[in-house]
Amino acid sequence: MRAMSTITTADFTKGGFIEFKGEPHQIVEFQHVNPGKGSAFVRTRLKSLKTGKVQEFTYKSGESVTEVPVATREMQYLYKEGDKYVFMDNFSYEQCSIAEGMLGNYVHYLKPNDTYQILVNGDEAVGLRFPKKVRLKVTEATEGAKGNTVSGATKTVIVETGAVVTVPLFIKEGETIAIDPETGTYLERA
Amino acid sequence: MKTWQRLRNNPKLWERYFVRERVIKAIREFFEREKFHEVETPLLIAHPPAESYLDVFETTLLDRNRKPTKAYLSTSPEVPLKKLMAAGLGNCFSLTKAFRNMETQSKLHNPEFTILEWYRVGVDYVDIMKDCEKLLQSIAGNTLIYQKKQIDFTTPWERITVADAFKKYADVNFDDFFDNAKVIARKKGYTVEPCTTWEELFNQIFLNEVEPHLGQGRPTILYEFPAAMAALAKKKESDPRLAERFEFYIAGLELGDAYSELTDPVEQEDRFKKELREVKRLGKTSYDYDHDFIEALKTGLPPCSGIAVGVDRLIMLMADTANIADTLFFPSREEFPLSE
Repeated sequence: MRAMSTITTADFTKGGFIEFKGEPHQIVEFQHVNPGKGSAFVRTRLKSLKTGKVQEFTYKSGESVTEVPVATREMQYLYKEGDKYVFMDNFSYEQCSIAEGMLGNYVHYLKPNDTYQILVNGDEAVGLRFPKKVRLKVTEATEGAKGNTVSGATKTVIVETGAVVTVPLFIKEGETIAIDPETGTYLERA
Repeated sequence: MKTWQRLRNNPKLWERYFVRERVIKAIREFFEREKFHEVETPLLIAHPPAESYLDVFETTLLDRNRKPTKAYLSTSPEVPLKKLMAAGLGNCFSLTKAFRNMETQSKLHNPEFTILEWYRVGVDYVDIMKDCEKLLQSIAGNTLIYQKKQIDFTTPWERITVADAFKKYADVNFDDFFDNAKVIARKKGYTVEPCTTWEELFNQIFLNEVEPHLGQGRPTILYEFPAAMAALAKKKESDPRLAERFEFYIAGLELGDAYSELTDPVEQEDRFKKELREVKRLGKTSYDYDHDFIEALKTGLPPCSGIAVGVDRLIMLMADTANIADTLFFPSREEFPLSE
């Protein structure tokens, strides 16, 4: 486990972990604001790791905050149990679970048996470092309507995790496509 | 996907972008009715207005022998408009582009944006408040839905002083706050360090506890700001700690910033010098202030008041979108994806 360290608002990253009012929180979103009356500020939305509650707080730009030490472990996604997602360490076979609320939009693109980077604070799994792109197979797709020549027209398909994705007409069943898991948008044919 | 590609895929999106045309047209019609002159102000300038909180874009002007001169992109049309008022133009406005650096990664900013400034001669900022009410009504009508919340534009709008807003929303006595900001902020749990300034604490309490309440349900005019935060505003006669400055808010968004304009050349020059010392201290792109503007003030700027309005934010409001980039065909983040 890494030691507690102090960072400044310049080190904020989306998905990063910091202490807020003595409790560990994840940075869901942050925005630089320049109120036009002087110095710069950073407006954040912070999600409590304990309660899942999201609140806003505005820091002075450059203000020091305590970073919550988070390590990364490679773990395999096993299954969903209630609103928890269960993962297993590839080497020690230890299991842990992450609440749905901590995974956000990413839950739609989790594929059983695939390995993910799990973020751990002490013994507790607190999140998942998702790649910018996930590659998933299209399991259900209709043919693009015949004679539809409107270029750029789209249709929806279902991928192997069950998520619905809007794609260009030329995508066929059985193809693998790349998706941005944060927004759920189609990126390219993979 | 770029915006033009999304528009090609989904022609329904055009409607959101056409809101800009309607807003721009309504603004010009309003000022035509009010008999204002429209002025084209330069974008490439030698001296940005000295304001330490802004980061300017610097470029280089070359002569035929490639001899370089520093040049900057305009951060506001204020100074050229005031020079023309000193020359006798009278009521005037400019609807133009302005550039402010280090404003990427924001839903409410684009480094290049559209700004509206207008000035009335012979009035104080109370008349500009009335202009705002009339202008917004002429653009939005009496009511508008923004992000599922209804906003009532009927006049008069809510008016509250900064001191009253601090009392009402943050339970801070503003008289006390002038002298004991650090104590008050520390009690509230904010981080206070030896180098923390009064103005930082003001803003931190304002942003966390006051601003989210402003302009909810109907627009709010927030007025009488601390003088230290109004580089080009006239001080209030009965209390020189305060300046005749107001901002107006709609749904928590700051839309405009207005002053009874400072017309005293000596005080203006002092404040510019102070601001530029601050620019240096902060290690920002430095520049000299506009001596020609001080000259113009010396020949006599008539008493006047004016305001700067963020037109892209106004369009956001009218188009009911939470992100300024959704109002622009070519947002900077698409032009410069690496800066995100």
